[in-house]
Order: sequence, then C-alpha cells, then structure tokens
Amino acid sequence: MNLTSRQGRPGPRRLIAVGTASALALVLAGCGPSIGAGGTASKSVLAVPTDKSPRGTITIWDRPGDLYKVFDATIKEFNKKYPNIKVKHQAVNIDAKLQNTLITGTGVPDGVFLDDAKVGGYSKYLWNLRDVLKPYKADIAPQKIDVNTVKGGIYGVPFDLDPGLLFYNQTALKNAGINASAITSYDKLIAAAKKYQQFKPGSKPIHLEQSPFLGQLQLEMYASQLGTSLADNNGKLQLNSPEYTRILTWLDSVQKQGLGTRAEYLSPSDVGALDARNEVFVPWAIWFTFAPQQQLKATQGEWRAMPLPAWQAGGARSGAMGGSSFVLPKNGKNSQLAWLFYEFLMYNKAGYSAVYGPNEVYPGGLNTSIPAYQPAANPKRPLFQPIESMGGQDVWATATAAGKQIPGGAPIPSWWAGAVPYLGNNIQKMLDGQLTPRQVIDQSSKDIQSNLIARQ
Amino acid sequence: MTMSTTLRARALPRARKGIFLTRTLAPYLFVLPFVAVFVAFSVYPLLFTLRLSFTNWRGIGPAEWVGLGNYSYLLTNAGFWQGLANSGALWLLIVPAQMVLAVIVAVLLNDMKLRLRGFYRVAFIVPFVTPLVAIAQIWIVLFDQNYGAINSVLGLIGIPPIGWLTTSAWAKPTLALLFLWKTTGFIVIILLSGLQAIDDTLYEAADLDGASRSRQLWSITVPLLRRTLLFSVVLQTLAVFQMFAEPFVVTQGGPYGSTTTAGLYLYDNITRADLGTGAANSFLLVILVLALSLGFVRLLRPKD
Repeated sequence: MNLTSRQGRPGPRRLIAVGTASALALVLAGCGPSIGAGGTASKSVLAVPTDKSPRGTITIWDRPGDLYKVFDATIKEFNKKYPNIKVKHQAVNIDAKLQNTLITGTGVPDGVFLDDAKVGGYSKYLWNLRDVLKPYKADIAPQKIDVNTVKGGIYGVPFDLDPGLLFYNQTALKNAGINASAITSYDKLIAAAKKYQQFKPGSKPIHLEQSPFLGQLQLEMYASQLGTSLADNNGKLQLNSPEYTRILTWLDSVQKQGLGTRAEYLSPSDVGALDARNEVFVPWAIWFTFAPQQQLKATQGEWRAMPLPAWQAGGARSGAMGGSSFVLPKNGKNSQLAWLFYEFLMYNKAGYSAVYGPNEVYPGGLNTSIPAYQPAANPKRPLFQPIESMGGQDVWATATAAGKQIPGGAPIPSWWAGAVPYLGNNIQKMLDGQLTPRQVIDQSSKDIQSNLIARQ
Repeated sequence: MTMSTTLRARALPRARKGIFLTRTLAPYLFVLPFVAVFVAFSVYPLLFTLRLSFTNWRGIGPAEWVGLGNYSYLLTNAGFWQGLANSGALWLLIVPAQMVLAVIVAVLLNDMKLRLRGFYRVAFIVPFVTPLVAIAQIWIVLFDQNYGAINSVLGLIGIPPIGWLTTSAWAKPTLALLFLWKTTGFIVIILLSGLQAIDDTLYEAADLDGASRSRQLWSITVPLLRRTLLFSVVLQTLAVFQMFAEPFVVTQGGPYGSTTTAGLYLYDNITRADLGTGAANSFLLVILVLALSLGFVRLLRPKD
C-alpha cells in the first residue's frame, strides 16, 4: 500500500497513521497504572490481634533450601495452637520477586523471610511492628532491634542473631605451640599468626575475604563490635570515623605482613587453604560452622570457635555479621494472622524449640545461628547439640555468650547493599595493595554520599 | 420496473459496499491480534518506561518529575561509563573471534564427508542449552587460582598460578571465554543454515577452475554468508551489551567492577529500587545498541 503521494511527500493516509500512532503513544504513556500507586496503605502500625479464635489462610515466603524445610516442619506445631489458621508456605527466590510484588501490589504474601540488610530498603511497604513487638522488645538482642528500626518504627520480626566468632584450627595451633585462649586482642591475633607462619612457612593464617559483598559484611561485624555502623539513626554516613580507620588499618596490616589468605568464603581456594592448614584463623559469623560440617574434609574435627578478640581491653568480644528477620507487607491479606505465626515461632517455647531444636534437616538442631530472643538463647539451655565435626564443642554456649556482648546502636541503612560497588570494591583494592585505609574511607564516603545518600 | 427489480437495484450497491468494507477491513482484522499483543506487551511498557525515566520513582509514593536529571546523572557517572567500557571490551574479545570460529566450525560441519556429523552438531549446541548456573560453577572450579585444573595444567609447564577470576587483567578474558564456549554452538547452527542455502554448483565450478578450499571459503562462502553473518553479529552485539547472568554468577561484577557489564550496572539501579535511573539507563542502552546495530547493518550490507 503506497502511503506517499506521487510527489514523494507524505500522503494524507500516512499523516493520519503517524498522527494516530503519536496520539496512541501519548495516551499509552499517560494512562495505565499511575506511577506512585503501588503499595500504599492508609495505616502503618500493625494493630495487636484481639480475635480469640483467629481463622484464615496466610501466605508465607521463605527462601528455598534448608531454612524453608526447617520452617515447613514447624507448621505442625503452630497448628496445634492455632488449628484454624492455614499456612500456605512457599519457597520463593525472594531477591528476585519481592520488589516487583510489592510495587505492583499483586499476590503480596502475608509474611516474608528477609535479610536484615534489606529491611530498611522495603520499610515503606511494610507494617510497623512497634505495637505487636512491645511485650517482647526488652528481651530481643538490641542489635536486632536496631537493624529493623527505621525512623523509630520497627519493620521486622527479628529471627536470628549471628554473632561473630573466631574460628581456629585447634590441632594446627597446638602443633605450633599456640594457645588460642590467649588471643584476646587483635594485636595478639597478629602475633599468633606470625608465630604460626614461622612454624609453617608459606602459610597465610588469617582469612582475608575476597568477595566485595562478604568483605563489607565482615567489616560491619568488626564495626558492630565497636558499637558503630555505616550510618547513624538519622542516616548520616559515619564511615570517616576512628573506628573504621582502626579496623581498616588492622586489615591492611594483616595484608602487608603477608599474614592473610585472600580467598572468597568457601571457594575452592578457601577450602583448599583451610584443609591444608595454611589458613587457621577465620573471624566470621557463627554460620562458618557449616564449613566443618559440610565442606572441609582433611581438617574436619579440628576446628573450634571462641569469642572474637577485642579491639581494646575490656571491649566487646563479638559483633553481628548478617542475620535475617520476617517482614509483614502492608498489602498482605492477613497480616495479623501472619504476626501470630511469627510470634509463635520466635517467642513461644514450643515454636523456637521447633525452629532451633533437632529436626529432620538438622538432626542436632539448627546450629548456624542463635535466636535473637534472649530467653530462647540461654547458654544453659541449649537448643542445638554439640557439633561433632567441631570435636563435639558446645558451640551453643560459646555463641550465646558472645551474642550477649554484641553492642547495640548499629542500624543498617537502607542503601547498605548498594554500597558494595563502592566500599566493598575499595576494601578489595586495599587488600590487594592498591589503596590505603585513608583512601578507602575518602573515596567510599564520596561515592556513597553522591550515588546513594543524595539520591534517596 | 417491478418491485423485485427495484429491490435488487437497491441491494446491489449495499452488497458492493459490504464487499468493499470486508476487503478493506479484513487485513486489519487479521493483524489485530498481533498488534494488540504487541501494543500491550512491547509498546506500552516501552512508553511507560520512557515516562518513568523522567521521574525519581522508587516504587512507592508519588513520582517527582526530574526532567533529564537521571540522564545527566548517568552520563556523568563513572560507574555507567565503566559498565559500557567493560561491555565494549567484552564485545571486542567475543564477537570477532566468535564469528571466525563459528564460520570455520560451520564449514567443517557442513562437509558431507565428515563422519559423526550429527554427533558434532549436537555436541556444539549442548553448552548453549546447559543451564548457566551449572556451567558457572564448573568455570569457578576450573579457573580457581590455587586449586583449579587450568592452573594445574599450566603449572606442569612452569607457568605460575594466574588469578583468572580474581585479577582485573584476567577476569574479562575468562568471562569472554565462558561466553564464547556457551554461545558459539548457537551461532554455528545459524551459519549452517546459511551455508545450506549456498548453491553447490558454485563450488563445483570453482573446483573445475582449480580454486583451493581456502580460496573457495574466502571468495564464495564468506561473501554469500554475509547476510547471515550480519544477523549473527547484531544478535551477539545485543547479547554482549545485555550480558548479565554470566558476570552475576561467576564474578559478581568484580574484581573492582572490571566485569560489571552495562546490563549488570543497570540491574544494580533496579535492585536499589532506583527505578527512574534504571529506566533512563535502559533507554541509553537501547539507543546505543540500536546505533551499533545500524552501524553494522551499513558496514556489512551486501553491495548488491
């Protein structure tokens, strides 16, 4: 069909077609779901449920894998107390699906398992749990309340506390004549590493993380130990501080003295160095217990855990590294029933015993974290058993004692994960000898301020 | 004139009009289902994204109009340019080598005398259909600096361990190798279809004239494959500039952002719920890829 006139100029049909298409484009661009419609709800604080016989169906999202199976097995216990609440438990790739679901407001679940570092970023979509958590707040680890707090509201039901511990190869240290219990400060850790290196030339005894994300997470563990974090309660960046300078200088000195194994957590290089007894100190969250149980072969049974060294005499011997909570989207259909589910699992003895105690997935109990609810984290009443592949050590006692030392006052800013391309990468550059601690602080502060904070 | 004649006379123009309308409207009605789907799932999202790119919307609350703010932020942002530069470098490492390799393999597989031809064809396409996550894990183990098979083999001839995935100098070539290994089979299949469209008599004539195999390749095969090659180049240009899963799984964009491709950088904006910047980033990428594709079309267009 020829739409041009004989002279080659656009004919009337072409003009009409172009005009119609343009008008349609304008209409399409302007209509449809209005930008700004997603996830708005008039109220923001979840009311305490009052129904004496609650009933209904709740949709709960958990990430696929071991924890999904653990929580799935607890539903039976929950239904003993709440027989009329049906739990639709779904294994979902939360990172991939949650944001779009909340924005569109379609198929929104009633409860979601979420990394602590991500709670702040979603807080506008979530119920403020201030009122429902009130009876339990005083008994929850302060660090967990802080990481779930945004502008005075609490947006997550704290699940686990992940205290940082110093994992060490007891057999290797014993052979080198090193007494691990004497490592009470980070300077003494360096001294012990030097001694070990003399005993085993070529070894690089301290783990230096090579993944930007985990490196930044580990930095936050050290900072948490010093009672600080990347931003204060008002969101003000506090990277340029004596605490961060001290931590980065220490990491830099480990690297410069050739005492660190540069490897990504449990990568082939890491596992190889651990099993070869070249890497014998791993300052890491409690979830390192997974390694001797599942990953290490030659050194299985040789590993032990102790509190982290202190930054100064009398200082805290632990800091938090990672952790997760449960969030309740405002657009969920049965948010109050979802709260009852999490209340049971976290604050009811039958509930937290079902989560942490022996189950089909973890026959000795869930030993990769401890409860954030302190009555459940009693050092004398273990929920999980001593770990055989750590020489039968009672890691529960060590971890719960360390957990009590984690200082509060360390909120996680909503842009935390977005800082990895800046701070996380710069830490790696420092550990590769390309930046000084001062440059890491200056460059990262500038980038975080202009790319993340200024664009909030 | 009887009554029936009058009625017939009146009915005739109406029937003609009906036929005219049917003939005029029918083509539009036939294409309507496609157009409806196209508008709903391509045109509308595109325009919505365009509108979004001029706002600072973060998925909730009212969107504030920021004009060209997102575009100017990106165009003055080192991370955005680094992502483009990384994608450009990967393109240089992947596409020219892949085209040469794919032509050679396709010509070999097109040889009727080749034994186990079917087996080789399947073997070449297997990496393309294997899930990337599985391949990525193999890659991570193979290229591990201290315990990987590649460095172990190189160690036998005295080459010291190389940080394939942990140094910015080597991470890009290693990623390019993964992409080459995974997608070359697909390009080979496309080129094979192009080869099968070339008339055998041309080769027979060339044989009679005494042309060597390499001469035939250069003077018959490559010129006649030009359109197919052009299609492949455009396809792979799009794929490289949108490359996301490979660096996401293997290197997470590192070390130091040296494998953060344009696609991965875009993803970072979106995961931070910075949807306005993400939308602007998408449009800048669309413009760039469109310009590159048009450039290739002009460059490789057959002279006939």
